[in-house]
Amino acid sequence: MAAPEKTDEHGGTYATTEAAHGGGEAGGLPQFDTSVWAGQIVYLLFLFFVLYLLISKVFAPRLRRVMDERASTISTAVATARSVQAEAAEQAAAAKAEVEQARADSRRVAAEAKARVAADAEARRQAEEAEVNAKIEAAEARIAATRDAAMANVSTIAADTASAIVERLTGKPASAAEVASAVKGAA
Amino acid sequence: MADPIEQFEVHPIPGLEFGEVTLPVLGVQQIAVTNAHVAMTIAFALVVLFLTAVTSGAKVVPGRLQSAGETLFGMIDGVTDSIIGHEGRKYFPFVFTLFTLVLGMNLLGMFLTFTATSQLAVTGTLALITILLVIGIGIAKHGLGFFLLFWPTSAPLAIRPVVGLIEFLSFLLRPVTLALRLFGNMLGGHIALKIFAGFVVSMGGLAAAGGLGLLGLPVAALSMGMVVGLTALEFLVAFLQAFVFAVLASIYLNDVVNLGHGH
Repeated sequence: MAAPEKTDEHGGTYATTEAAHGGGEAGGLPQFDTSVWAGQIVYLLFLFFVLYLLISKVFAPRLRRVMDERASTISTAVATARSVQAEAAEQAAAAKAEVEQARADSRRVAAEAKARVAADAEARRQAEEAEVNAKIEAAEARIAATRDAAMANVSTIAADTASAIVERLTGKPASAAEVASAVKGAA
Repeated sequence: MADPIEQFEVHPIPGLEFGEVTLPVLGVQQIAVTNAHVAMTIAFALVVLFLTAVTSGAKVVPGRLQSAGETLFGMIDGVTDSIIGHEGRKYFPFVFTLFTLVLGMNLLGMFLTFTATSQLAVTGTLALITILLVIGIGIAKHGLGFFLLFWPTSAPLAIRPVVGLIEFLSFLLRPVTLALRLFGNMLGGHIALKIFAGFVVSMGGLAAAGGLGLLGLPVAALSMGMVVGLTALEFLVAFLQAFVFAVLASIYLNDVVNLGHGH
């Protein structure tokens, strides 16, 4: 059904092909008709060669350059990132050390202040204590003096009282020496 | 139903026929611009356009198109690098040319009515370029030492000639298998597509006539599903065969580039 149509369209060519093959091979694959081979082979060789030249001289180098550039860009970026990271880590370590230092300093200052305050307090306490002690001593001394004075007055009062009692009882005043000895004896 | 192999016919574009010439091996040859030439030209132009678009404004931070191009580039670069080793970069342009050209022609076949890589002349040429390059590099690099490729030093001495002969025969078969693998895949895929697509039309036509012909409807629907599935599969095959071609070319190149310390 298709064959007659073909003959109608490209009558001359088809007839030649048929003739070259002989009638018996009419049902074979058209690919085995070698009369059209040379044209295809020569043309394909030409196209292949041109494409090979284009790829080897233009396309492959271009693409390889871009890919190499990308690879170098990426490796540079990675290296930069790595160095930045290292720098950041260094800075972090430095900051940490600084913080440690500051903490130690503040701890030391705090301890010093505490010690100073404690010493001050102690000194003040001691001073006050000394003062208080002095006052107590003074007061004790005053008390002792007062007592002594009082004690001294006691014998005088006793003597006065005794002489007054004796004068009242006897009607005549007792001598001072007698009274004094009597008071002494009672004491 | 349309003839499923009609799509593989190479015919001149009307008005672009320039007669015939007789060559020694191939016999009578047409000189004409055919649909095969058109398909190859479009594939070539698309590949060049794509690579130009990918590389002309190439940036360190790639856009979408550049990413796609770089993926293909990196894939083949990985293949040549891992198979051939540190000398792989030297052979990368060749393998990448093979890959992009085959991929372009394969994929174009999914959109046009003609697939250049379903032509034995095309796949055979690509295979021959590859194998001639392999032989050329082998002889240029190692001189007559190239023939050590067929001398299996790991085999016992007694059976070395036999193994060597087998190695030699398998080497001779390499271009054949290389050409036939791509050719067969493209041929088979497109025939299957055409047959199932033809079923859709003929069974649909049967159903349109009504009556018992309505039984053709499920067959047409099933065929339609097959066409959809096969189309997806063919896209995969188009890519895979281009990749396989590139990988095999790298393996064959490696054999002669690293002759003696790869075996």
